[in-house]
Amino acid sequence: MASGLLPEFFALLGIDLFLMLSLLTCLLDDRVPKAIPYIYQIAALVGYGHILVSKDFFTVFGEYMRFWYCFIYLLVSLANIVAVNIYFAAVKKQWTLAKVWSGAVSFPTILISIFFVSNYSYLQGVPFPLLLQIALVVAAIIMGTSVAIFLSPGALRNKFKEE
Amino acid sequence: MNLKAIPFKRSAKLLALLLTSMLIATVSAITYLQLTMSSTVAVYKSNVYFVIGSDNGTKNLEVELDSTKTTATLTGLRAYPNASFTYSDPVKVRNNATTGSAPQIRLAPDVNPSANPEDFEYVKFLLNGTSARWLNFTSNSTAWSNTGTTNWITIPNSTQWSIAVVTKATAGAAVSASVTITIKVDVD
Repeated sequence: MASGLLPEFFALLGIDLFLMLSLLTCLLDDRVPKAIPYIYQIAALVGYGHILVSKDFFTVFGEYMRFWYCFIYLLVSLANIVAVNIYFAAVKKQWTLAKVWSGAVSFPTILISIFFVSNYSYLQGVPFPLLLQIALVVAAIIMGTSVAIFLSPGALRNKFKEE
Repeated sequence: MNLKAIPFKRSAKLLALLLTSMLIATVSAITYLQLTMSSTVAVYKSNVYFVIGSDNGTKNLEVELDSTKTTATLTGLRAYPNASFTYSDPVKVRNNATTGSAPQIRLAPDVNPSANPEDFEYVKFLLNGTSARWLNFTSNSTAWSNTGTTNWITIPNSTQWSIAVVTKATAGAAVSASVTITIKVDVD
């Protein structure tokens, strides 16, 4: 029998996303406020707190409640990734960077999160509708191909020089 | 981005963040691992159990359930020579859940009979659900055989289905010959 995911896996995923955001915003610190990388580190620590709470109150909190607070944490981390994407595009007007961020960070992380959520829901006996699963696979293929074609290193170098 | 062009101050900041990130990620992963190891298994009252059917007390049939209603014992079932005899409702299987996904059930042989194959033609069990599921034990006069585990069938919540029993003895069957059959109702 396949071992199932615990709801805390979503908190773990959220922590890793916040840490990734922290490092990326540190690399791009001339484009984002200086405090942002540290805020994301604190957000990751909050996620660790989630897991600790789950561990100490494992039998008190039902799986339903644990799922929702871990899932909401993951949603918050994804919302931050999208927010940074929007910040680059709308506030900083750096379209190339926003496109790269979208293709290399936003879309893959959202897709990976959807994959794990669908896997978890399948193991809980509530699988995603077949049409939605097919749509996700098609979206992943199209987006992956587009990223490979339009975000090639040479093309990006020229674009960044223009900006 | 040219990493060589990153100034020292920025490199130190990145290194510090990288180290704290690794620390947080590692500790979180270890805690999650401990969580998976400490997963507890609790025993719950089953929502699927047996209910005594309306045939109990008739046609010589006696049905007994254990305290958890997960074992039903049917005694006094009759089989007549050269005639099919049906108990349409000796025992029921009930899904008492009101919410959540409905479970699947199936009939499966547990202990294949061996006694008196010369006296019986068949003993059939019918899970009388939305579509029939038959588990048949037939005798060729020398040995018993069965049709094996049935396909799964989803039993809706707050629903009970009868398990009918159909018997038939051979034309020259000895009076008082008996056979014991044990079947299971698997729940998924």
